[in-house]
Amino acid sequence: MKTPEFQGTHLWERLCWAKEKLEGIQTDIRVVYEDPEDMDNPAKVLCPDPNWMACALQGGILPPVESYWELAKDEAQPDFKKHTRGYLLHDTKPIEAMTEEQAIEYLIKKDIPQRIWSTWNEGNKPKMVICRTHQLPEHRQWRNAWQIKEDIELAA
Amino acid sequence: MGYGILKFDTLTTSDSKNTSTDKSIDTSYLFNGVAKEWHLFDQRGDIHGANTIADSFNVASIADVSTGHYDVTFTTGMSTNAYAPVSNHHYTGHIDNDQFSRFSAPSNLSTGAYRIAGQYVNSATGYEDGFFTVGTNGDLA
Repeated sequence: MKTPEFQGTHLWERLCWAKEKLEGIQTDIRVVYEDPEDMDNPAKVLCPDPNWMACALQGGILPPVESYWELAKDEAQPDFKKHTRGYLLHDTKPIEAMTEEQAIEYLIKKDIPQRIWSTWNEGNKPKMVICRTHQLPEHRQWRNAWQIKEDIELAA
Repeated sequence: MGYGILKFDTLTTSDSKNTSTDKSIDTSYLFNGVAKEWHLFDQRGDIHGANTIADSFNVASIADVSTGHYDVTFTTGMSTNAYAPVSNHHYTGHIDNDQFSRFSAPSNLSTGAYRIAGQYVNSATGYEDGFFTVGTNGDLA
């Protein structure tokens, strides 16, 4: 299915189109990460949304990830009250179709703090690992003790 | 049949079934009133599998933070941090467990994300995984 020309269309309206036209895509990829500024809490597990994944793989819907970074900068200002640059989401040329791997990389850069993904492999052990659901613990009984193993073997 | 775009500022109905009196509504009222985000997140996993977003709208990802806690990140963010996620929490989502309603609430609202915490009892050890349904109203960026 061809994506309409969406540059200049509100991002939320694009999602309405996608919800009607595209099937959600459930991926079994998960991103496990630990925040060095929040070491008292267990590892977090990021789950990509199936409808978002469908948009990412379709192409022509989502804005460049840099648009989100700019809005995050605005919100970090001490006098922030309301976004005035929402047009960065709506008017910037949408990105082309991504592979599943490219989509996960985009999502990491959008939804995980930069202090984690930009230095994910520095320190005594990785702060972030991309895995499949079957590689997570089988049950959640000890969920609040989940950590990334220090001797974890990373694929190339 | 082709698709097109209808642009109008008001909708008018004759309300023939009830009062037969014309009533109009500004279409912006409709837009402002609809949920801007919703999701079903099965953190415990009895229905859809653990940590599964069964369905949603305007969600980019959900991060399982710890027992009974998760963060929701929007695809299209909100204009301010004053908006209203309304959350529900059930033990499993199964009819056999319908006596096990739980309670939950959003916190840590930013324009791009918010956190949901679900509990079975109001204490620091009362958090519990479960079957969460949430809808959010507010103004988009």
